[in-house]
Order: sequence, then structure tokens, then C-alpha cells
Amino acid sequence: MKKIEVFDPALCCSTGVCGVDADQALISFAADVEWARQQGFLIERFNLAQQPMAFAENQIVKAYLEFAGQDGLPLLLLDGDIVLAGQYPSRAELAHWLDITLPDTTAKPAKSCCSGSTCC
Amino acid sequence: MLFLEQPPRFLFFTGKGGVGKTSIACATAIQLADEGRRVLLVSTDPASNVGQVFGVTIGNQITALTAVERLFALEIDPQAAAQVYRERIVGPVRGLLPETVVNSIEEQLSGACTTEIAAFDEFTSLLTDTALHADYDHIIFDTAPTGHTIRLLQLPGAWSSFIEKGKGDASCLGPLAGLAKQRAQYKTAVDALADPSRTRLILVSRAQNATLQEVARTYQELAAIGISQHFLVINGLFPQSETQEDALAEAIFSREQAALSAMPALLKTLPCDHLQLKPFNLVGLEALRQLLTANVQQLIVERNTSVTINAPKLSALVDEIAADSHGLIMFMGKGGVGKTTLAAAVAVELAHRGLPTHLTTTDPAAHLTKTLTGTVENLVVSRIDPEVETERYREQVLETKGAQLDAEGLALLEEDLRSPCTEEIAVFQAFSRIIREADKKFVVIDTAPTGHTLLLLDATGAYHREVSRQAGSTGLHDVTPMMQLQDQKQTKVLIVTLAETTPVLEAVNLQEDLRRASIEPWGWIINNSVAAAVSQSSLLMERAKNELKEIDDVAHRYAHRYALVPVLNNEPVGETLLRTLIYPFSPA
Repeated sequence: MKKIEVFDPALCCSTGVCGVDADQALISFAADVEWARQQGFLIERFNLAQQPMAFAENQIVKAYLEFAGQDGLPLLLLDGDIVLAGQYPSRAELAHWLDITLPDTTAKPAKSCCSGSTCC
Repeated sequence: MLFLEQPPRFLFFTGKGGVGKTSIACATAIQLADEGRRVLLVSTDPASNVGQVFGVTIGNQITALTAVERLFALEIDPQAAAQVYRERIVGPVRGLLPETVVNSIEEQLSGACTTEIAAFDEFTSLLTDTALHADYDHIIFDTAPTGHTIRLLQLPGAWSSFIEKGKGDASCLGPLAGLAKQRAQYKTAVDALADPSRTRLILVSRAQNATLQEVARTYQELAAIGISQHFLVINGLFPQSETQEDALAEAIFSREQAALSAMPALLKTLPCDHLQLKPFNLVGLEALRQLLTANVQQLIVERNTSVTINAPKLSALVDEIAADSHGLIMFMGKGGVGKTTLAAAVAVELAHRGLPTHLTTTDPAAHLTKTLTGTVENLVVSRIDPEVETERYREQVLETKGAQLDAEGLALLEEDLRSPCTEEIAVFQAFSRIIREADKKFVVIDTAPTGHTLLLLDATGAYHREVSRQAGSTGLHDVTPMMQLQDQKQTKVLIVTLAETTPVLEAVNLQEDLRRASIEPWGWIINNSVAAAVSQSSLLMERAKNELKEIDDVAHRYAHRYALVPVLNNEPVGETLLRTLIYPFSPA
């Protein structure tokens, strides 16, 4: 089975409420991860502030951090290879990587995450 | 003392810094031990003199206090506990991950939440260790966990996503992931807290409106999660017998009595004890034995001594501030030290000198500032209501971000939004709209974000984005908002404290926290000083003598510059009275 590993930046709240603008992408992603897990898929998340060893032990992630710094997070690996960096995926992208067929009704457009402070 | 009648096994004293929790906890422990019980005293107070009192080094292990039979003590340093926890996480990756990344992780784990959770973790073993309970009839804590911490521990969502899987989505509970205990153990601890046959919570307050209101909020918060058996202790009451026709003593006495009658109705229903102000600092076994019993009159050894002190006045600080003709002036300090009053006084004085000034406050009642609106030339007054701002921020986040969460996720988000950080961020966000005026005039603000919050906001770039957005294209091209706060030419942070041990220590911690964010506090103000006031009262003069060491520490160890502001007979409402804070003894 395919496995996704998510390396999150060091946020003291997953919801990002500590930031002035709570990051909608992060919150939606938390819900999408739960959705995929309920279908039996393996998605592991590592928080830089909680499990930094996971970052240090993975050569790909470690090299990426040295190159991009923590501003470059999150980083997503699909079976060990980078599939996305610097932003969270949409549910559609997740489904695509995991070969889940999305019913049209629940499909969401693969919009990019909003880094601005007022959108969403 | 009502709170000492049929005490259960666990006694928790709670209240804000400087109200006397540790002293009362010590006195209680001594009294119960004197009555024949075996007592363990647990102190988390960094200013704790428990070891000093009993002439032994205690530290983080249970130590028998030979000076009092059957009494044992344990000191927990929450900062050190948090440090141990941080090191457990950060230590292994030092040298493996880039230094900036490691520093950022450390900052994430340096907030108030981490310290509090680390302290609760230490409490947990004491509350759940049945072998320990066989050894002691009573375990007395000089602090209590907040409602926020306990609620987090009660949320199933927090546990399922975090602790049991050992990973997952962070929240305010995050720090627990690095701690050793299991969910069942935390649950047992929370159950013990909520059981009145095992636990009594004693709220400690002073007879001051703001302090009593804060206590009422603590009570409500804890009652809402099932911890409802509370007792109230009003500490440090000025005794009527000592007013002796001294104007200041009379004023303090009547102010306290008025605060007591205006006490929130919620608190009036609680069993309540009053403790009188003592002429001495509560250091030493004898002093502590007298805290709960003795009559003040017999304790004053020296009558009619006087204290004179030659300390800088607030006018000297204002002179320096005024020389720059514009800038951001922020007042920082714990609740109840008088930040709003001092901010108003400085703003009024600047305006009085013909300098355009914008005073913006979080004064909840607005009674202090409403008399200024439109009456003082060159002064604009605006107000930010922390509750309204926090609620607006909460709703905005819940509406836009909480929509797709399931019930458990939503509960966790809601609890995260009740953290102290949230209010700080919401209020600072509201202030950031006004801060940009500071390049043209003076902007005086009666609050400031902690260094921890600023670092987090800065690290995520969120603060920069927010301010840039609000500043539009009007400037700030080459200066980031954080740099504006770090430059003393543009921003002066004034730390406000009282001339008492714990408040000074808390102020030192605030200063350290700002320094982590490379913000150097410009000066300190010691407010409500008895030593700086005029009085004939022997009791007040004894208190004044006790202030001298604290004032000296601030002057020589902590502050680049400081001012001493006397306690006033009347609350300084209105322009004229506010200016008496700037020029004491020579009202304009």
C-alpha cells in the first residue's frame, strides 16, 4: 500500500491559530488526512517542534531542510519520494496519489493554498 | 480559618503573582503539621523561600524539614521542568539539523503553555501515587493548573490524535507528547482534582477590584469543568486599627473596603477568610506562624519610623521620551500593576507639552480614559476591548477554518482558541492598525505582546504580512515590523512592576522573554510605591522599608533607567490627577 509522510513546520498549534492569519490550507489538510485515514490509507505526520528526529533521520528531508530552511515546509513524501513541497495538497491531489477514486460530488477543485492574509 | 476546617488530602492555592499564595501555603502546612498531621508542601514559586525559611536546601526531591515535625517539602521549578522537556526533544537533533531550524523548534517550546503543562506533569505523579498518599495526610500546592490546561486534558480529540499515537496534529497540548505519562494517569489526576472529598481549591486575592474580578473568572472557569469546591482568602487587608488618622492609610483602608463590598456576587457565596496586612515580609518560621493568627498591632515593633528615598520620578522618563517628538511607547507588565493608569499619565503629559499623542488602551471599564476624550488638547484616545477583539478573532477562525472539522477536531480548535496566546494575538492585531501612526506622533499603548508571541509571529511571517497589508503602500518598505519594535529610537518598551518580590521576579521574566526577541526594554516603572509616598502610618512605613531592597534591585540589576511612582490617596481620574503621577508632591 502506498504511504504518505508529511513533514510539518514547527507550529505550536496544528490549526495555525498562533499565526495572525490561521492557515486555511493547514486546517483543511488536517480534515483531509483524517478522511484518507478512515479509508485505511497510511498517512504519517511529523511536527518539526515535536519530532525533529524524524526530520534528521530522513536523508531527503534533512537535505531539503538544509537547502530550503523551515520556511520551505511542509514537505510531502509518497513512498519516500518528494511529491509536494512548500504547501499542502488538496483532497483531490491526495486522492490521486493514493489512487482513490473521488466521487464527483465530493471532489474539490485543486486550488493552490492561500498564503495571503485575507483570502479564503 | 474556614479554609482549614476539615481539610481534604489535596489543598491547592491559586491566584495571581504577588497575592501571597506561597506564604499562605507554607503557613497552612506548618499549622497542619503542628496539629499532628503528616504534610507534604509542594512549591512551584520561583521566588519561593521555603528552603530558606526552614534552613535546608530542598530542590526537586521530597525533603524532611527538621524545624517542623511531620513536615516535608518539595520544590518544583516549572521552568526547569520545561527546559528538561525541551532538551529531550531538541538535544538529539542539535548539530544534525540547521541551527536556525533548531532555534525555531526551541522557541516553539518556550511558551507559557509548555511551562504549564510541564508543571502539571509533575503534579500528576503527586496526585496519583497511592504509595505517597499512605505517607502523607495532606499534600499542599502553592499553585493550581488553569482551566485551560485541565480542559485540554479532558478533550478526547486531543488524546486520540496526539498522545496515544505519539504523533499527529499539534495543539496547545503539544508539549505533553514529549512527556512520559499515559492518558489514564492524567485522567486519574484530573478526577482527583474534581473530587471535593479529595481536593480543595483556595482562591487567594487582595482587596482590589481588578484582582477580585480575575479571581471570579478563575472560579467560573474551574467550576465549569466540575472543580467547584472553592474557598476564598483575602490577603493583606489594611487593618482599620492602623489608619490612625493618616490620610494615605485611611485612603487605602476605604479603597479596600469598597472593593470588598463591590466583590463579584459569585465570590460572595464562597466561604471567605480575611488576613491582615503584616508589617514584615513573610520570611522565617515565626513570621509564617503569625500569618494566620496574630494581631497586627502587636507585631509592629518600631513606631513612627520614617523612610526616605531619593529615586527618579516619572517626569525624568517623560523628558527623555519627549525629546524624540514621536514614537511608539508600550507598557508591559502583569495584570493589576497599573499599566493603563501609567500609560494615560504619560500620554496626558506628552500632550500637555504640545506633542500630538494617541493613547490607546485595553482598559475594560474605560472609566480612567473616558474623562480624557476630547478634553485634553493634542490627545486622541481610543480603546480596544480585549474580549470583543478575542471573540471576533475566535469567530473568524471558527467560521472560516472550523467548518470542515469533525466534532472532536472542532472541540480541540475551540480550546486552542481559548489559550492566553489567542487573546494576546487578537489584541495585538487590533493594535497593529494604530502602530503605524508612530512615525508622525506619539502612540502610547498600555499593553505589549510577549517576546515569545512576537517571535512566533515573526517566524511565520504572519506579523510582517499583517502589518504590511494594513500599512498598505504608505511606507515600511525597508523596515520590517519586528525591526521597528527592536529599535529603541522608534519603540520604547516600559516594564511596569510593584516593589514586591514576586512582581519584580515576574517582570524580570518578561524582560528576558523580550530579550529573546532582541527587544531591549527601555526602562522600568515601579508603581504604587509606599516608600515614595508621604505617610505617618507605622504599618505603612514598615512596608516601605521592605520595598527598599526591591527598588534597589530594579535600579542596579535590572533596569537601564527607572522611575518610582508613589501610591496615591485617590484613583487618578482626569488630567490633573494623572499628572500628579508624573510630578509627585507638586501637583500642577
